[in-house]
Amino acid sequence: MSQRMPAIEKPVEGPRIAVELARLGALLIVVVLLQTVVAPNLRVLGANPDFVLLVVVSVALLRGAETGAVFGFVAGGLVSLALFVPPGVQSLVMVAVGFLAGRYAETADLSPSVAPIVTVFAGTVLAESLSLLAQFLFGRQVPVGYLFGHWFVPLLVLNTLLAVPIYVACRWWLKGARHVRLPEA
Amino acid sequence: MNRKRALRRRIVVATLLVLSVALLTVYFRESSDGPVHRIEASGLHVVAPLQSGAARIAQPFHDGWNWAADLFSAQSQNRQLRNEVQQLRQQVAQNLVTQQQNDELRGLLQMRGAQLFPKGSRFADARVIARSATAWYSTVTIDAGSAAGVRVNDAVVNGEGLVGRVTAVTPDVSQVTLVTDQDSYVDAMTLPGGAQGLIHGSVTGDLTMEYVDRSQKVIAGQVVVTSGLKGSIFTRGIPVGRVSSVAQQDVELYQSISVVPYVDFHTLDLVLVVLS
Repeated sequence: MSQRMPAIEKPVEGPRIAVELARLGALLIVVVLLQTVVAPNLRVLGANPDFVLLVVVSVALLRGAETGAVFGFVAGGLVSLALFVPPGVQSLVMVAVGFLAGRYAETADLSPSVAPIVTVFAGTVLAESLSLLAQFLFGRQVPVGYLFGHWFVPLLVLNTLLAVPIYVACRWWLKGARHVRLPEA
Repeated sequence: MNRKRALRRRIVVATLLVLSVALLTVYFRESSDGPVHRIEASGLHVVAPLQSGAARIAQPFHDGWNWAADLFSAQSQNRQLRNEVQQLRQQVAQNLVTQQQNDELRGLLQMRGAQLFPKGSRFADARVIARSATAWYSTVTIDAGSAAGVRVNDAVVNGEGLVGRVTAVTPDVSQVTLVTDQDSYVDAMTLPGGAQGLIHGSVTGDLTMEYVDRSQKVIAGQVVVTSGLKGSIFTRGIPVGRVSSVAQQDVELYQSISVVPYVDFHTLDLVLVVLS
């Protein structure tokens, strides 16, 4: 279960880069549609799933910190624009989540069955904390009890439950992908 | 090699963070017809038909879920009728949906004819096709846009009372910020009495009436309606809610008044846009 994941393979080059970009681009479109079209209609335990975070974490685990951060920035920006919310916040949050999830994958010993759950759990905590901070700076207030009981905890549970299925789907789509880990220096 | 890679990684992340902050700054500093806002409107224009389709697909599931929830709460009292209920489930669910729609439509008709709005006021019927997926913003998307005459700041009501105001418009759809949104302020007054103040939303969905002078007498149970002050986007007399509690503290200049909205925002479906 706790086997160490192999180091990242030789970086993709030439035509493979185009294929890689196409796959990531398609994934981007799918996640934007999921978040803007499907998520608002999926209310479980009082929260809507955060597909953007789930996919950003999966991409970061599979492709590393840089790709995770860039994917998070673009996905966050597009979803914000489509949902009419201030566009920089979600981008900022998803850059942080994508980067840190990618760094975790690059530096830690990961078990493929546990890594998505742990990372999504931590990523949700981080993302919601940053969002809370941003909203606080915007002057929006929320009772802490309400936030935890009606939003944060349900979202945490829901995202964690969806972590593995979304990760598996992303791994299947980004064929040949595996947890990244930097080669030893 | 690794050092180079680490440096590149830091540059990429720093650039993205700066870009995010820049985007946010531009968004808040530019006018509502600035480039970022225009891109935003285009995004909604593209996504709206998909949201509309998804809402239609999801509606039977929502209805079924609501019906199942209602049934569950009544089970203990109706155990002996369970078999019969199961046979009638489909029919009852359909009837409930039809009944609900009838009630909503009747309410909208009453609202139109209630003489709340100036003579010659025009309305646009609309259906809610999407809701905000985050707790931070209380907004819905409706399937009427500028093609139907909808404009930013048009008031939105349903048969129960005030729903909110239009905050963004594309040709086919509009975004409505609900009165329960934390950025929503509505000038209102209590009846009887006429104490005036501002209805303010919150993330929890509760409404508070603010800036009501301590000398004004307000008691629980009073009705709250829009006051229609000069320059307000809401005409006078649109029902907002009912006063649920009033708190007065010696150190406060104003009273703290909680208001329960008339509109059930969880089941919001059909609405009426009052065209300006």
